[in-house]
Amino acid sequence: MNRVVLISFLIVSMYSNAQGLEKVIARQGKMSFLSYTSVENIKAENAQVLSFLNPNTGEIAVRVLMRAFKFEKSLMEEHFNESYMESDLYPEANFIGRIDNYDASIQDTHTRLVRGDFTLRGITKPLEFKVAIRVVNNIIYVDGNLEILVQDFDINIPALLSPNIAKKIQVAFNFDYTPYE
Amino acid sequence: MNNKVLHYILALVSLVYGQDLVAQDLLTLLDKEPIVQPEFTLSTFKGNRLSLGHSVETRKKGALEFTFMSRYWNTTQENSNSFIADRVSTRLGADYAITDRFTTGVGFGLSNGIVDGYAKYRILRQGINNNGSPIGITGLQTATYRSESFNNIEERDDFFQKTAFTTQLLIARKITQDFSLQLSPTFVYRSSSRNINDDNTQFAVGFGGRYKVAHHVSIVSEYYYVANELESIETFGAFALGVNWSVRHILLQFSMTNNPTFTEDSFITQTRKNFNFRDGNFFFGFNATYFLQL
Repeated sequence: MNRVVLISFLIVSMYSNAQGLEKVIARQGKMSFLSYTSVENIKAENAQVLSFLNPNTGEIAVRVLMRAFKFEKSLMEEHFNESYMESDLYPEANFIGRIDNYDASIQDTHTRLVRGDFTLRGITKPLEFKVAIRVVNNIIYVDGNLEILVQDFDINIPALLSPNIAKKIQVAFNFDYTPYE
Repeated sequence: MNNKVLHYILALVSLVYGQDLVAQDLLTLLDKEPIVQPEFTLSTFKGNRLSLGHSVETRKKGALEFTFMSRYWNTTQENSNSFIADRVSTRLGADYAITDRFTTGVGFGLSNGIVDGYAKYRILRQGINNNGSPIGITGLQTATYRSESFNNIEERDDFFQKTAFTTQLLIARKITQDFSLQLSPTFVYRSSSRNINDDNTQFAVGFGGRYKVAHHVSIVSEYYYVANELESIETFGAFALGVNWSVRHILLQFSMTNNPTFTEDSFITQTRKNFNFRDGNFFFGFNATYFLQL
């Protein structure tokens, strides 16, 4: 008898997490980064970031294609992919994490903390940042910003250029999640 | 009692397991979801020119580049009091990308009086991850005018006699992220010949490669084989071994080569020295390219 209860409990607990509210997806998430120094500002934007959110658990997963970052100067884009990010080798960056105390029923703008692992150039680091969440017409808007340390990801910057590239890169993003079919 | 504890443990384990399943689920979903991939390979080479000649690359729309090219060499005379090098040859040029696939340029050789212009179009671009074309092809057409006599090959009575035209098909493949190769079938037409034995049309094949040794540094080499060489003078295949250093807006190219000229028709068909390190044969090349986005 006990065994039956246990097994059924196990099965139910597994499924209960996977069911419930539908997962939501952001297909054209926007992400930009800015390297701000006194010498020059380098900015790039990506409008094709892919992200999933599980409203039951607050889990969030993000996939960023490096080649989709667009720069003002085409040569900078080439250097970014070829010399810094090595996009041939590491075409994507990933984030998998969880929004703390996520409550799908709150519609008004509210701030939550996100914790998770960020993988760039094959290197995974824990990352923690705040996001602002609001729900309008069943679309979940999540936006926020964070800082990434260049040295954490083994990005090679020639000594000559170290004044031109910030030690901390400012990243901003906004994702609009709609139900995933 | 024991059973209750077991209950709790199992409940906890299944919860954690369940969460992991969901996380895994999200990642799997992410991987399955199509993401807009770039179509074409980036940076087969890192400049408009490999070392001596053109590469398959063109710049993106609105790119304006200023190029300073130079060669330094010593004459064979025993005693020389020249500073650094006995002779120098330079070319100043400007290149402009009209579209992502179409680049044009002009240049002037300060010491040899060669005026040149070119147009370059990317016919085919190499795809990514075995999608699309395995190679990239760019067509190049140049035209040069020799305002001064150089090797005494052409007749110099009227304007047209002093011109030459080079047509090249630059075929390249980025084989790994560090290694690219280029093959360039070349057709050179010189408008006039002083010597009846010299062909006005010459065929050549160029071989080029780059190997990226560091994030911003690559080693490049080029060699040109000419099928029907000039008869009136002895010529050799143009060769270059060099280092390209590209950073920010600047591309610096250092090379060791066997010729002092910068235009295709000259260095492909009229290189008079074989490559070695003796005075008179050894030419040190230095090119600097400055990039501006318009």
